[in-house]
Parts: sequence; C-alpha cells; structure tokens
Amino acid sequence: MKHFYIRSKVEEQIAVIYPKGHLDAHNVERFEKEIVKLLSNNIVRIVVNCKDLNYISSAGMGIIMGYLDEIRDKKGDIRLCSVNSRVYEIFDLVGFTDIYDFVKDEDSAINKFKNVS
Amino acid sequence: MFPEKPELSITIPSKTELLKMVVELTKHIATINQFASSDSQKIALAVDEAITNVIKHSYLRKKDKDIRLEYFTNGNGLKIKIIFTGIPPVLSKEGIDLNKYIREKRKSGLGVELMRRIMDSVEYKTVNDVNYCEMIKWKTKK
Repeated sequence: MKHFYIRSKVEEQIAVIYPKGHLDAHNVERFEKEIVKLLSNNIVRIVVNCKDLNYISSAGMGIIMGYLDEIRDKKGDIRLCSVNSRVYEIFDLVGFTDIYDFVKDEDSAINKFKNVS
Repeated sequence: MFPEKPELSITIPSKTELLKMVVELTKHIATINQFASSDSQKIALAVDEAITNVIKHSYLRKKDKDIRLEYFTNGNGLKIKIIFTGIPPVLSKEGIDLNKYIREKRKSGLGVELMRRIMDSVEYKTVNDVNYCEMIKWKTKK
C-alpha cells in the first residue's frame, strides 16, 4: 500500500510540487527525483505545496536542504506553502522556518516569484 | 523510574517499509498514555529517526537484520529502548548548523538533532556488540 504520492506542474518556469501523505526515508527517493527532474530542466523557482502532506521526517527535509544552495546559486528558490500546523512544527524544530520562505497559499508563493522576476 | 518490564516490545526487520507502521504504533502508545496528540506525533517522529539511522548507518540498508523496540511507561512518561547490532552509532555532540549544511549540500544530519529536540533525553550505548538507543519523554518536562 502506497503512503506517499507526488505530482508537479510547471507554468511560466515556476514549478509547483504536490507531495501527498507520509514522507519518510522509505519514499524520499521519489521526492528527490521530482526535484532533480525540475533542476535538469533548469526550473529553479519551486513551490512545494504541502496542503496534503501529513508527515515529514528528516529524510524529506534533507532533500529540501540538499538542493537549496544549487537552486539559489541559479537565482531560484524553494518556497513552501499551505503547511499544516503539525508539519510546520517539525520544520520549525530544526530551524527551517528561519531559512525558507513559508507562504500561506500557492497563489501567494507563485506571485512572490513573479514579482521578483 | 520505569518498570523493568516493557509495556510492549516488538522486533521488526530492518526495512524502511515498516517505518510508517512503527510511527503509527508509537503514536498510539503515546496517545493511550495520555500524551497530547501533537506530542505523540513528535515522539513517533523521534522513533522514526532512530530506526532510520539504524537501517542506514548500523545495518547499511541490509533488510534482514533485527531491530527490537521496547516501550516502558510509568504514568509520568514514556521510555523507548531500541536494541540493534551492526555498526555502533557515532554521534556528533555539536548541534546542527543549517546554513553550513545547506552550503555543503548535505541531505542528511538532521535526524539525531530532531530526536534531541523532541525528547527529554536521548542516550546511545554499546555493550558487548549490542547497541542501545534509549529515549525518554516526560509528560511535563522535569
């Protein structure tokens, strides 16, 4: 039984990734593949819409951390939106909320990218 | 003090497929022992991190090794003991530096820090080639 799903869309060179369910060390490769696929297509403005993400362990956070430098070097960024309070608490525990841009919803995250382009 | 006998013990094979089951089990045990729901979820995450480290670093992702989990309760808190063999864990005593990790493009290194920030105590020891990770969470911090 699958506990994690992922899909993404790209519009105007801005990607939105939709992780859904339970993201842990078992399924983190699929999350990483999605990020790598975007980077290989030179998409570096990335929104991770967490509205359906119920759980994240350090394995998932590690992927968000591991590619940030490359993405910012290429003048892009990773923004996280629609994060539920439980998952936000976990991001906050390790200090991600000081480093990443957490935005209320997808439209706001996309508009922030459009406003700086 | 916790009783010598665990309230529950379970031995699982070293497969990441089972992480979600362990998370659900731990959350359930914490919840029935009157931990707040958000604390139960975090305790479960700490156990996920510990088990993931065992699978990755002590068993080098071999799937046929044993990991034993023991849950002890005493009304005031929850103690979780994880017993495994393989390569003994080597833990950094320093905290994490996220900016440095990002510069170094690191994809790991957050798990033990999460465990330390969630639980009131996290201790590792190795005795006669058997490794122990013992974590305690009190209902009200002591």
